[in-house]
Amino acid sequence: MRKVIAVTLILLTAGAFICAQGAQEKADETQVVKFWYHFDNPETALNPLIEKFEAENPGIEIEAERISWDSYNQKLLTAVAGGYPPDVAQVKLWWQPQLVEMGALLPLDDYIAEWDGKDDVYDKIWELTRHSDGRQYYMPLQMVILYLYYRADMFDELGLEVPETREEFLDVAKKLTRDTDGDGIIDVYGFGIRGARGGHDWWGTFVLSSGAQFFDENGNSGLTTPEAIAANQWFIDLYRKHKVSPPTTPSDGFQEIIANMKSGRTAMTIHHRGSAADIEAVLGDKLSAAPVPMGTMGSWTSFGDEENAVFAATKVPDAAFKWAAFLAEAENNALWQKSSGQVSINKSNASEDADRFLKATTDSAPFAGVLPAHPGVSEFVESLWPALMQQAFEGQITSREMMQAIEDHFTE
Amino acid sequence: MGHQPLQKKTDLLPYALITPALAITVAIIFLPMFRTITYSFSRYILYKPQEKGLIGLDNYVTAFSDPLFWSSLSNTFVWIISIIVFQFLLGLVTALLLNRNFIGRGIARSLILIPWVTPSVITALMWRWMYDGNYGLINQILSKAGIIREFIPFLAQSSTAMGSIIVALIWQGFPFFAIMLLAGLQAIPEELYEAAEIDGATKGQCFFRITVPMLKPVILTTILLRTIWVANSLDVILIMTGGGPGYSTHTLPVYSYVKAYKGMDFGYSSTLAVLLTILLMIIVTGYVRSILKSQEA
Repeated sequence: MRKVIAVTLILLTAGAFICAQGAQEKADETQVVKFWYHFDNPETALNPLIEKFEAENPGIEIEAERISWDSYNQKLLTAVAGGYPPDVAQVKLWWQPQLVEMGALLPLDDYIAEWDGKDDVYDKIWELTRHSDGRQYYMPLQMVILYLYYRADMFDELGLEVPETREEFLDVAKKLTRDTDGDGIIDVYGFGIRGARGGHDWWGTFVLSSGAQFFDENGNSGLTTPEAIAANQWFIDLYRKHKVSPPTTPSDGFQEIIANMKSGRTAMTIHHRGSAADIEAVLGDKLSAAPVPMGTMGSWTSFGDEENAVFAATKVPDAAFKWAAFLAEAENNALWQKSSGQVSINKSNASEDADRFLKATTDSAPFAGVLPAHPGVSEFVESLWPALMQQAFEGQITSREMMQAIEDHFTE
Repeated sequence: MGHQPLQKKTDLLPYALITPALAITVAIIFLPMFRTITYSFSRYILYKPQEKGLIGLDNYVTAFSDPLFWSSLSNTFVWIISIIVFQFLLGLVTALLLNRNFIGRGIARSLILIPWVTPSVITALMWRWMYDGNYGLINQILSKAGIIREFIPFLAQSSTAMGSIIVALIWQGFPFFAIMLLAGLQAIPEELYEAAEIDGATKGQCFFRITVPMLKPVILTTILLRTIWVANSLDVILIMTGGGPGYSTHTLPVYSYVKAYKGMDFGYSSTLAVLLTILLMIIVTGYVRSILKSQEA
């Protein structure tokens, strides 16, 4: 019986597929652009932008599909390998080496040369998003820079100053870690570290600013120098020795660090403008932001980027580029940022009346950095860093062993 | 002589009838299986298509010298054995209770199925929040009852992570044992117990001399099925810890998944999958053989 059902289902699906193909051939004047995207906030919608685009460009239809962030990279790469990628997809800078190596992307230089909007995008963004082979595959979409969130009310209560160096930061974090109801158990932790996947940005803030670098100017690894190992140890100690981060740190991901901030379990954490509205809705004026503290060798914070890429397999490259360019034009980009809560890439969208979160973002711009353009970055972010960091937090491996394993990954 | 053509016809008909089913099985089971085996002998990293090609036994050699393979393997054994043993015992007790006459037995029998029919994703998310080290229900209860002073970060430390997930999975799967064993119990003729009682057998004797032997076929099949399912299951682990903290909840399927979809290394990932299959086949054939032997004896 099951098999009969299975066969019927297969025949039906095949039938539907054939019918759909036929329908597509009939309406051959409409070009369909398949678009993949993701947003942190599930309540946001893309419809107004799609409607606007379709009204301005008759004959092009946008088929937008929202993919959950957890499986986004994996789905995109499998779709590319399987030969059926979308026409346009939201992408991140650190995927570019892999995608280019797979031959998945369409170089956009010729299109961009003729595009009117190119001068309204910050030059720094063009520079950051250009691939190492000198070509431009990515159309800028949004930017975000990680900064330090802190509880202004707790700082006032304890008479603390916003920390500017890592020593000041540690001091403040220790003072903020306290038992507020006198039962002998810590209720508030100074700093929420993201120890699960995605926490490499927290790590980078303190480790890449204090002597560690993926590759030095000669292209050699700079991860196992004495300074690098000491910087990593300093970061591990935040959790192991000073205990300024909650005991749940090794398993805390995005949801947890935001929830801990909202509930007052933590007094500081690092994130970007994308979460500001959400936390502010709960904490109001008690929440404030500042650039991340400086390490021993300067400052480093993560430049979080999002771009759109047009895939080489597309049958409608002109229409696909039109859509990617449409989203990078000032008016539409401002609309997009309303949904994403992040920062526009257009010069003409820079506003005078910046709120404190936008100010913390722009103040951090001079030292915002990205992970190296290396095909190994993806695995480092997705599985290697979390596993090593969690082991180091538990004391199963030393700081040196952790840094050595990262170096091995990038140099093998 | 005249009946020979007829004979031929009946010979072909069964094959014609099973062809569609066979074709589907080949297409959806054997082809992917064959590809997995081919991949396991290949270098196949998704983002390095130029390097794709056969490399013989290299992946297997790597696996045997990979400490993570061995720790995942031992985690897999802990995972299978502890889950099966506790699910079976809990399922047996539940089945014996549900086999008695009491008011509301019908309702109880349906309610017991809830963990089993709850989708794994929901089970995993639910337990993850119950275990949460800052706000979790389990910590609240333990702390209110005065058993613990400080909250335990169950899923954030490797000493408790695996055990915590195992408990969640035992909860999820024991109803299957309960229902199967209950069906087995109801098939045992009442007369056997009556006869034993007349002969003066104690309750314990009834259980070990009648119930257990009569249930044996059901017990053996359900354990076999569950072993295969539990060995393969990774959804709950992925959602609850993603294999962490560190590599403490990496079982072989999890390791294979992480290698394929986080590291994009389909070659090595296939090798891990093939090794798990071989291992399961050894266990299953050994198990079935010992059953057959014990039945002969």
